[in-house]
Amino acid sequence: MPNLGELAARLIGILADTVGSSSLRLGAAPTVTILLVILVLLSLVARPGIRWSGRDIGRLAEMGRAMALAAESGADAAVSLGSAGISRAASALERFQTIAALPILGHVARTAARAGVPLRVTTNDPVTALAAAATLASAHRLTSTPERAAASTVAYIGEGRAVSAAAALSGARPHGVAAVAGGVGEEGILILDGQLRAADWSVAGTASASQPAGPLLVADGALIGPGLLQAAAEIAGGEHARSSVLAANRLIWSAIAVLLIGSAMGLAGGPHIAEFLAGR
Amino acid sequence: MRRTVVAAMALVTGLLLILDLLVVNPSLGQAAGALNELLVLLAAAAAVGGAVTLGAHHLREVAAGAGSRAGSMVLLGGMVVVLVAGLRPGSTGSADPAVAWLVAALLAPIAASIFALTFLFLLGALRRGFAVRGRETSVMAAAAAIVIVLLLPLGGAPGDWLASGATWVRAVPLAGVFRGLLIGVGVVVALSAARFLLLPDRDDD
Repeated sequence: MPNLGELAARLIGILADTVGSSSLRLGAAPTVTILLVILVLLSLVARPGIRWSGRDIGRLAEMGRAMALAAESGADAAVSLGSAGISRAASALERFQTIAALPILGHVARTAARAGVPLRVTTNDPVTALAAAATLASAHRLTSTPERAAASTVAYIGEGRAVSAAAALSGARPHGVAAVAGGVGEEGILILDGQLRAADWSVAGTASASQPAGPLLVADGALIGPGLLQAAAEIAGGEHARSSVLAANRLIWSAIAVLLIGSAMGLAGGPHIAEFLAGR
Repeated sequence: MRRTVVAAMALVTGLLLILDLLVVNPSLGQAAGALNELLVLLAAAAAVGGAVTLGAHHLREVAAGAGSRAGSMVLLGGMVVVLVAGLRPGSTGSADPAVAWLVAALLAPIAASIFALTFLFLLGALRRGFAVRGRETSVMAAAAAIVIVLLLPLGGAPGDWLASGATWVRAVPLAGVFRGLLIGVGVVVALSAARFLLLPDRDDD
């Protein structure tokens, strides 16, 4: 059994070998620049004395009153999380908008839970549906309204951007409060119009550079470009992490189920679903 | 504790992927590749779960006679047809000709038909925009009108002048606005991602 000195020497040797067998992919200057940018960003974010502005971007502060009016009139609330999703084949920037939309969904869910307004969330991505369900559960727990959780639903409407647009158009009906947040493409105006057209109060946000006109034209409150991400970051940090934990737990159970079922099918001589699922 | 674990996992994963981007190392590459494979597996598991939930929901709708029974039947029928085409004995999965035909002959035209509605709905949105916020909508409508005029299919000297004008609009003001938006989005994406992970819990009220 090696003593501590030998163990440390081995660890240092492994590290030295690893460093020795590596080379910089981008060269010294770009690597140092990227690391410096990351360090500056982290120091800006983590600085304890920093104060972030609290402007009412997207008129989100009006949502509480709109939700109270919806409760009085017996209307519901609806949220669409765009058409990019988290696990769909979209660009990283589009998918990050879906993640940024979750705190906004949390804000809507909390105001709806307090007012007793049923909330319906739609998405075209199953991973986003899991995260949205966890966000709703977290909102009811935070507002101590578990008895109202059954009235709020998350619906996975199927795969594809066209599906999002078609579902928004075919399911268009009056809502007390309606919101669209996340990445959208050319179908953005269809989703926005179907979801928000008949709403008493609405908000729409997207950071898609080609689609700022839709929220401006259709919604009462608009989060354009960086506004969507800024609003998400200003709303809350904690609930996002709790939602991530809940969603991750559900994903892990789903993955285990797929592994077991796929293995059983393979052992039984059935089709190998791994290749079909991964598209290979 | 849970928040700490999640943040630590996200930071370690992110650092590993950033290191793989910056440094060429076989072990690092394998670790990053394994992470990406895990992501594919998670997405596949979630997709199966989502599809099963969707099917179960519409089966319940059909059984209970609630909602649109015809719509639910069409959706369930479509799911069955695609699954049979992709999983039947001898099928090559998503690359099977039957699946490719279903996509090319049914799904693509349906999607194109939906996207073709964009123009009509944009006109409707413009009408509503003028009623709700006239100033911003007027600016957008004026810009759209200018672009339409610049793209008119005219010949001769006026056509050349319009074409050069359209090229300038695309290359200078339009490209400037796009780049400005993208730079702004990129900066806030970086800040937001870091704040999601590092900021302490706080309520929004």
